[in-house]
Amino acid sequence: MKKYWQIAKITFSETTAYRLNFVMWRVRVVLQLLTIYFLWQAILPRGAKILNYDHSQILTYILGTSLIWSFVMASRSQSIADEINSGSLSNFLIKPINYFSYHFFRDIGDKAMNILFTAVELTLMYFILKPPIFIQTDPTYLALALISIFAALCLHFFINFILGTIGFISPEIWAPRFIFFIVIGFFAGSYFPLDILPANIFAIFKFLPFTYLLYFPLKVYLGQLPLEETIVGIFTTFIWTAVFALIANLAWRKGLKLYTSWGK
Amino acid sequence: MELKKYFKIWYFLTTIATQIALTSRLGAILFLIGKLLRFALFLVFIMVIYSQTQGIQGYSFWQVLFFFATFNLIDTASQFLLREVYRFRYYVLNGTFDYFLTKPMSPLFRSLFGGSDILDIPMLAISIIFVYYSTFKLTTVAPIDLIIYGLLVINALIIALAIHIVVISIGVLTTEVDNTIMLYRDLTQMGRIPVDVYREPISWIITFVIPIGVMMTFPAKALMGLLSTQFVLISIFLSLTIFFLCLRFWKYAIKNYSSVSS
Repeated sequence: MKKYWQIAKITFSETTAYRLNFVMWRVRVVLQLLTIYFLWQAILPRGAKILNYDHSQILTYILGTSLIWSFVMASRSQSIADEINSGSLSNFLIKPINYFSYHFFRDIGDKAMNILFTAVELTLMYFILKPPIFIQTDPTYLALALISIFAALCLHFFINFILGTIGFISPEIWAPRFIFFIVIGFFAGSYFPLDILPANIFAIFKFLPFTYLLYFPLKVYLGQLPLEETIVGIFTTFIWTAVFALIANLAWRKGLKLYTSWGK
Repeated sequence: MELKKYFKIWYFLTTIATQIALTSRLGAILFLIGKLLRFALFLVFIMVIYSQTQGIQGYSFWQVLFFFATFNLIDTASQFLLREVYRFRYYVLNGTFDYFLTKPMSPLFRSLFGGSDILDIPMLAISIIFVYYSTFKLTTVAPIDLIIYGLLVINALIIALAIHIVVISIGVLTTEVDNTIMLYRDLTQMGRIPVDVYREPISWIITFVIPIGVMMTFPAKALMGLLSTQFVLISIFLSLTIFFLCLRFWKYAIKNYSSVSS
């Protein structure tokens, strides 16, 4: 276990190795957040409502999804496909480490860095923009939100891992990831709260795994779901996680049988 | 004569870039699907907003759609023409840029127009169709406004060109390109809707300091007859000033270039 924590720590340090790159990346993160924040501020002025959301709730939703995004979506597992295609996967196969755990802890290191900076950035934004956001004080909802975020990051890890294993069958690895990011941004609820969609469409969304990556943890935080629905939602997230973990395992084992490398 | 030579070079390099892009047909199709999805999902977003709210600050649905179509037209056209900028970091790092400097042609031209992206053509076509279609959904459009619209779209492309010159100049000085170009892309995303819906001073900053508004919002407003002549002239003056300042920055970067690799 100790070695995996070392991997997380190394990943954490690695992020700041190229300082200018790092600064530019953080500027981009802030800018993306400001774009969607100001957009919603323009769409929903004070006093206006969109279904169950008033001005403060929608801004809490936008800032909240940004924070949860840094918990859930920050990942280094895009390198899996590169490692397969370049042959450097061989280096991992001969080492006494579990490849899944290696990448999971790299993700943890990356997430830690993201959380740290996002928290600082959001705090600064809070003091500068003074948005009327909602702070959850009920410990039950806070605990349930944390559990749903943990389930969401496990779910995201396995989906990402499966995308990485495409490298076993095709060198074309960036295009599927590009589509994945576009799909996830919309279907996970980073554009708008999914329950403002027509009821029949939202009912379909509830069956999709993406809903449980951003939208659901934030709704739990906001305390807008009945306890029963929250428990069912967390349970659904774990079921999806188990399904994707199984697929990832299968893809990994099948992929290794196809894997060849030269010159390493 | 020079123009003909450069057109030939562009055509030749674009042919090569096209062959490379189509090496993996599956990859090309998937990228195209991704781009279409991105376009369609933002369209859905606008539709959802209009179905649930009073609209965006007094603009009608078709007006907002026209702003979005114009944004896509300018964004896609600049990406199509200037795709080489996205590969520029690699050229600096592996020393290929030194090779550009030794050739009997402008290294700036080679770095900016060294291969347009064929995969942007379908998106460009869709953007033009959307601009055309949403224009007819607006109230009557005067012919003079159409001419001003065309002029301001060209003006926007000049600003885009200037910003790309800054990006590669920073690349020459620091080898950092990827995040700078993506930063520009993120900024332009603010122009998917009319920039005057943002509150002050954001609206003013993204109109005149970082001229996203001049690039993306002004052409559409001109067509709707919502832009005064004064602002049309300011836009043209602004773009030409930015362009010449960026050229000076490029010359400064080249003078201070120390070969990284090769």
